[in-house]
Amino acid sequence: MGRGWVRCRWGWMTDHIQKFHNLQELRRSASLATKVFIQRDYSDGTVCQFQTKFPAELDSRIERQLFEDTVKTLNGFYAEAEKIGGQSYLEGCLACTTAYIIFLCMETRYEKVLKKISRYIQEQNEKIYAPRGLLITDPIERGMRVIEISIFEDRGSSGSTSSSSSTSSSSGR
Amino acid sequence: MPDNSTGKSFKPTKYIPVSTAAILLVGSSTLFFVFTCPWLTRAVSPLIPFYNGIVFLFVLANFSMATFMDPGIFPRADEDEDKEDDFRAPLYKNVEIKGIQVRMKWCATCHFYRPPRCSHCSVCDNCVEDFDHHCPWVNNCIGRRNYRYFFLFLLSLSAHMVGVFAFGLMYILNHLERLGALHTTVTLVVMCVAGLFFIPVVGLTGFHMVLVARGRTTNEQVTGKFRGGVNPFTRGCCGNIEYVLCSPLAPRYIVEPNRLHPVNVKPPFLRPDLPTRQISVKVNDNGIHANIPRNKSKVNLDSLEDKCLDSQPPLPPKADLNRYTELKSQLTSSEESTLSTKPLHPSTPAMYKYRPTFGANPKVLYQNPGEKVILQESCQSSPILEENGRGHDYRSEPNLDFPESKGSSIHRAFTSSPLQLDSFAINSRSLSLKHAHRRGGDKTPVHTIRSEGNASSPYKSVFAPTSLSNRNGSLSYDSLLNPSISPSSAECLAHPGVPMVGYHSPYLTAKMCHIQGGEIQHQAPSSYSPILSSRHSPHPRDPSPVRYDNLSKTIMASIQERKEMEEKEKLLHSHPHTRGLAADVYATNSGVYEASGSYGLKQGAVFPDEPRIPPKLSYGSRDNLLGGPSVFNTRNLHSRTPMNSLASSAGLGRAPRTSTTSLHTDVTNNNVQSHQALQSRPGEGAFRSPVHQTPSSPLVLPRSPSYNIQTPLSFMNALDMTDSPPLGGPREEVQLKAGHSKLNGQPGGLPRAECRLGSTSSSQGNPVSPNRNANVKKVSGVGGTTYEISV
Repeated sequence: MGRGWVRCRWGWMTDHIQKFHNLQELRRSASLATKVFIQRDYSDGTVCQFQTKFPAELDSRIERQLFEDTVKTLNGFYAEAEKIGGQSYLEGCLACTTAYIIFLCMETRYEKVLKKISRYIQEQNEKIYAPRGLLITDPIERGMRVIEISIFEDRGSSGSTSSSSSTSSSSGR
Repeated sequence: MPDNSTGKSFKPTKYIPVSTAAILLVGSSTLFFVFTCPWLTRAVSPLIPFYNGIVFLFVLANFSMATFMDPGIFPRADEDEDKEDDFRAPLYKNVEIKGIQVRMKWCATCHFYRPPRCSHCSVCDNCVEDFDHHCPWVNNCIGRRNYRYFFLFLLSLSAHMVGVFAFGLMYILNHLERLGALHTTVTLVVMCVAGLFFIPVVGLTGFHMVLVARGRTTNEQVTGKFRGGVNPFTRGCCGNIEYVLCSPLAPRYIVEPNRLHPVNVKPPFLRPDLPTRQISVKVNDNGIHANIPRNKSKVNLDSLEDKCLDSQPPLPPKADLNRYTELKSQLTSSEESTLSTKPLHPSTPAMYKYRPTFGANPKVLYQNPGEKVILQESCQSSPILEENGRGHDYRSEPNLDFPESKGSSIHRAFTSSPLQLDSFAINSRSLSLKHAHRRGGDKTPVHTIRSEGNASSPYKSVFAPTSLSNRNGSLSYDSLLNPSISPSSAECLAHPGVPMVGYHSPYLTAKMCHIQGGEIQHQAPSSYSPILSSRHSPHPRDPSPVRYDNLSKTIMASIQERKEMEEKEKLLHSHPHTRGLAADVYATNSGVYEASGSYGLKQGAVFPDEPRIPPKLSYGSRDNLLGGPSVFNTRNLHSRTPMNSLASSAGLGRAPRTSTTSLHTDVTNNNVQSHQALQSRPGEGAFRSPVHQTPSSPLVLPRSPSYNIQTPLSFMNALDMTDSPPLGGPREEVQLKAGHSKLNGQPGGLPRAECRLGSTSSSQGNPVSPNRNANVKKVSGVGGTTYEISV
């Protein structure tokens, strides 16, 4: 009886500690503070280019060069996608000759580049932006009008500690 | 049968044209193949049905693509993309495309500024990229993605009709003696159908061939945007043809994003090393912070222009203390980086004020009042000004309650920027103080502040021009001595839930001091909270993170205008007789760009995004629409707008977010509005004297060949703000003409010029805001394009 009682207590304590740690984890989560929108750069017409100007809100969050590199790379991707040249011409002819059935089977060049962009953004988020509390949203989700960068803030360990103690489970009682 | 319970009811009538077109096309061609082709195969060649079959297949394929393909619909913008209130943001935003100013209009339905060449289709209730027109024959908008298929459909249909008619004629001529026979009769019927639709289809095809060669859309052509002006979107004739035919298929925007896997954003966050060279500062501290390493405080101003924040000092070890949204500290130091610093606008030239660190070494550096810190992201000053404005807008909403200060602060960008810096500094300090307070045990910062305050007081007089000392004073005394001053304030943007304890940002204090010369501290407590805390401000708005970065000149102008407006408003309220002045002010605000013959930026031009207009001000805002207290103002605005520019709507706020707006915003009608203007003008009486109107007509007309023919301010229903009474004249005539012509959905039978006039009248310029009380009249243009006119 005594040993069982001790085991129950021990289980209770471990559970409590575990929940405490979980809550610690929760308390250290980030909350979305604000969003910055990088607008399109229309100076060259309607080709998809984004402004490389560094927004003020990111000034303390990320190095300017990293940000500019990201935007310039994205601009390069979009320019490549929209390039009118050999491949787009061939694609058009092929589509015409097959009465556009080819679109059901094949992925257009733009879509391929979009997938590449998506992967690139994902990688940039994982490597560069998320560690700095930022998150880039793929512009395609916004109709390619803006690049949305979400700025997160660390909520810190400021939450109430009462929640950790309120939950406790006893095992084997 | 139509179900009217939902918003998008099933309207069978909208499928009639497309059904008719499909039936005619398929039916006639089938009849041709069945009745005419066998003889032709035998008599002439089997290639005839083969050729006709290929062409018919091509027609069908393009018809299907034009009908079912997404034309390039923009998804609605998220709420957080537009944090500014609709009725405070300007209706138009300028952007420069290849050196030509182009106007982007706010779409009230989709909640974003329409990209160039984008337009909102009232039938589909969507903004469409590179909007050409809404074609009832395919029951779809023609936009960027499907314009090529529509164009090829027209070409192939023309070829097909020509072929069918020609071969049918050949058959008939060879069977003249048996005209009563079934085959001959059917062939004759098919020929009649082909011949009947030949003229409109070939006419439309020719029209679009001209458009393609010129690089215009139907919308631009019929609204006369480039009449006499320059088309910034053209790539030359060959380039345009190549673009239409050979460009890659644009992507769909309405698409489910395939998330690879969500990226976790978890603290702690890295912070960049703060630059050391942004500012040239001779920091003159008050001797409190002996511990601050001074080596980093001296920055070369001269090196500013060359440097981007490439090299930054190493991240201080106390980075983990940063828990709040940060003000960017201008001077970099180890302590500074430990501060919760808000990102200050880098381009704000300012009297730099170093923010105290409440981490290990809470110190405050005070800058010599004579020192000027200029932060430049670029070498141009206009972006700085622009960013100043945006900094204001973005950071919190200081301008809501202190428009004059905002205006002045922006206006004197360099001199007022210390206020911004200071505000951020103060915010950081407040945050740090909060942080310290919340930690509960760290009294050092408080003591330090006190000591700083004490030490700073002798500097008050020295720093008075820049209000640094005031700020410090308020920091040290007001916040500490009046902990209850701003209980509601200081929800910094990063921490909405954190209450400010006993500290209020002297942001306003500094600003007011700067402007009023000094009794700010007393005002600050009451006035600060609305400034800093967006949530508790009288303005129930979240601070907008949205930034429109490309309109420096216009922002500058708009800020000036706003400042003037606010001054005028004060005058108005105090002196009812100064309406004329107010009108002037508002008129300048409404200006846009109709430089005659080009897309010039008009004087007193648009303020692209100046959201900080108190609701009372009438930028043609929603308040105006409601005819609220700003009615008076809008009338003034209205009376002067003709003088100023056609783009009077530019200065006015966006249309409210109602679905009905979309119906009107897309294609409203100067004509109609000028109708109203003319009709209501006698009623206006007091504010719109004909004197205003008449001189504007000569002014207006030469401006018509600009990028956008300005519509009258459509959202002043009752007031008829028409900035284009002169346009009302010719437009009325056209309107009447359009009314007489039967254009509903009939593609042909109308001379093109008449159609064009009709559609021009109906779609002139930009439909500004919705006319709430207006009835909608549909006018069809070329090829059955339908325009809705607010009557």
